Amino acid sequence: MRLLEYQGKKLFEDYNIPVPKSQLVRNLKEDEVELLPESESLIPGVLKAQVPVGGRGKAGGVKKVSTYQQAKKLVRDLLSSEIKGFPVGAVLIEEELEIERELYFGLLLNKSETCITAIASSAGGVDIERVAEEEPEKITQLNVDPSLGLQDYMIRYLAKRIGLKSQLSVFREIARSMYEMFIERDATLVEINPLAETTEGLIALDSKILLDDAASYRHGEEYSKLKNERFLPEEERKTRAERLAEELGITYVQLEGNVGLISDGAGTGMLTLDEITDAGGKPANFCEMGGEANAEVTEKSLEVVLANSEVESLLITLIGGLTRMDEIAEGIVEYVRENGEPIPFVVRMCGTKEKEGKSMLADIGIDTFDNHREAVETAVRMAEEE
Amino acid sequence: MAILVDKETRVLVQGITGQIGSFQTKIMKEAGTKVVAGVTPGKGGEEVHGVPVYDFIEEALEEHSFDAIINFVPARFAKDAAFEAIESEVPFLVITAEGFPAQDIMRVIAYAVNKGVHILGPDTPGVVSPGKCKLGVHPERMLVEGRVGVLSRSGALSYEACKALSEGGYGQSTVVGIGGGPLWGLREKEVLKMFDADPETKVIVLLGEVGGTMEQEAAEIISNEITTPVVALIVGKAAPRGAQMGHAGAIVEGKEGTAEYKVNLLREAGAYVAESPDGILKVIDQMEVI
Repeated sequence: MRLLEYQGKKLFEDYNIPVPKSQLVRNLKEDEVELLPESESLIPGVLKAQVPVGGRGKAGGVKKVSTYQQAKKLVRDLLSSEIKGFPVGAVLIEEELEIERELYFGLLLNKSETCITAIASSAGGVDIERVAEEEPEKITQLNVDPSLGLQDYMIRYLAKRIGLKSQLSVFREIARSMYEMFIERDATLVEINPLAETTEGLIALDSKILLDDAASYRHGEEYSKLKNERFLPEEERKTRAERLAEELGITYVQLEGNVGLISDGAGTGMLTLDEITDAGGKPANFCEMGGEANAEVTEKSLEVVLANSEVESLLITLIGGLTRMDEIAEGIVEYVRENGEPIPFVVRMCGTKEKEGKSMLADIGIDTFDNHREAVETAVRMAEEE
Repeated sequence: MAILVDKETRVLVQGITGQIGSFQTKIMKEAGTKVVAGVTPGKGGEEVHGVPVYDFIEEALEEHSFDAIINFVPARFAKDAAFEAIESEVPFLVITAEGFPAQDIMRVIAYAVNKGVHILGPDTPGVVSPGKCKLGVHPERMLVEGRVGVLSRSGALSYEACKALSEGGYGQSTVVGIGGGPLWGLREKEVLKMFDADPETKVIVLLGEVGGTMEQEAAEIISNEITTPVVALIVGKAAPRGAQMGHAGAIVEGKEGTAEYKVNLLREAGAYVAESPDGILKVIDQMEVI
């Protein structure tokens, strides 16, 4: 889960990492935007749209304001706008600071090196990947042994490389706190970009934090609170099929084509998407049931995939690791008994109890394939004919 | 010969009394695997399909010797079990759990490296050398003993490839599930080196997918070190950016995570690139090395 800037800054505050004074403004009710009186003291200041996406400045999501009246108008405008496809649910009003230099500091769970990597750069405020490509000498990376943690000598080294002298002790506190927060909150990324050098010290002007969803069970209410306070009208933006998938616990990604797909593995699902595309078709979705699918999961997956009205034919491709084909067939038969076969089903079935499964499907008039490619081509052709 | 496991491999099963652990123990034994002991905390003294169960690995060690551990413990408890397994300094540990918190598996892998333990996984179907040893959940019926080494990030995709290979007359030396992530113990490059050193393996099939950098590392090793021919299939060309495609590690971020980028690197490194399991078969047919 990606936190919004203001949520990240709240966490920074909890860990004593300096942030600018700010005020969050939300659209509480339709057509009613109230700036709180306190926010007057923050102006002249900066308005920042709270959206979970990078590059919002260029997309018009960050605006400087010099008067209260102007702020009021622009907040209202921002709250009724979309930035890079995300409707703005909240705006952060922040004091403007005098900045001497913009730096970068981040901690990242490094999937290639299997450790936490600390990254510091003397060029902040811009896309770090671009700095890495164009001015790699400005970036210093340090892999932290998980059993050691981030030690002070590492922090001193990073500070030296980005040219911090008088502010070393502040940087040390920030780096220590950030590492502590990274571990305690099960983060996979914590980034301050820019980390501003001001006459009053170092201060985090922005935050980017990713939390590990797989560890959310450890953070219980805290995690759901953060999720709810992102003010993202995600539910409204989701398609019917996506909402249903979430409700039923089915792995589902909606795409833009018309050939529906259900597979019993992630790799075979991706393979089949590619093959549908190669055969000239357009996949409507990715949906995998996992290695231990049964009749119930099959029925649910069918409900989800067919909730998308764009689907013109459905390809079910099964290779059966732990899965039993008679159980999958039972799920399909059950679905068809209740709902009929609204569009043509193409089933490629292979694995344990495949004979039984195939005969159960033959009984309700569904032919099965052995050859994967043949099944893919048939499904693509049927979608075209519909 | 084979890699990672062979006829003599003795196995301990963690989480042996669970539904999956117990069922897979039965299947592994039927496939000829020497399962010598099992562990489930609080279930010591029981027996599962003729295999004695202990509360701790240390207690199992008093009665048995073993060369590998397979962990069928669910993600929330798998870290604890994995640390216990690594502590025993068993040379090889397979972690099957899906949904492992990233920082937990990071610590597990770091500890394993310190102790010299090879980890396969997490989120892996395990490893099988057809006719010799099965340390995992691969379906036997698609496998035939032979000379193709298969490594894959996806279980089902490896079954699909093995089915095509077996039907086309090419058996497998060893089939290795690298796992779905989010981090990996043994990486593709390490397994490639093992296959390259295995005299029984004449061709290596690499089944990769979008996301991460493992195929980039593999390309580098293929270009510099590997002499055995490699046939690669990378799935997820049609995967949209930013969406998680079933596996924790299968998410396209930046241009380096795309299938296209990986395919180009592998091709430049000298690997043969196939577009489908049948395509893999055609490439091997043309090689005439088996």
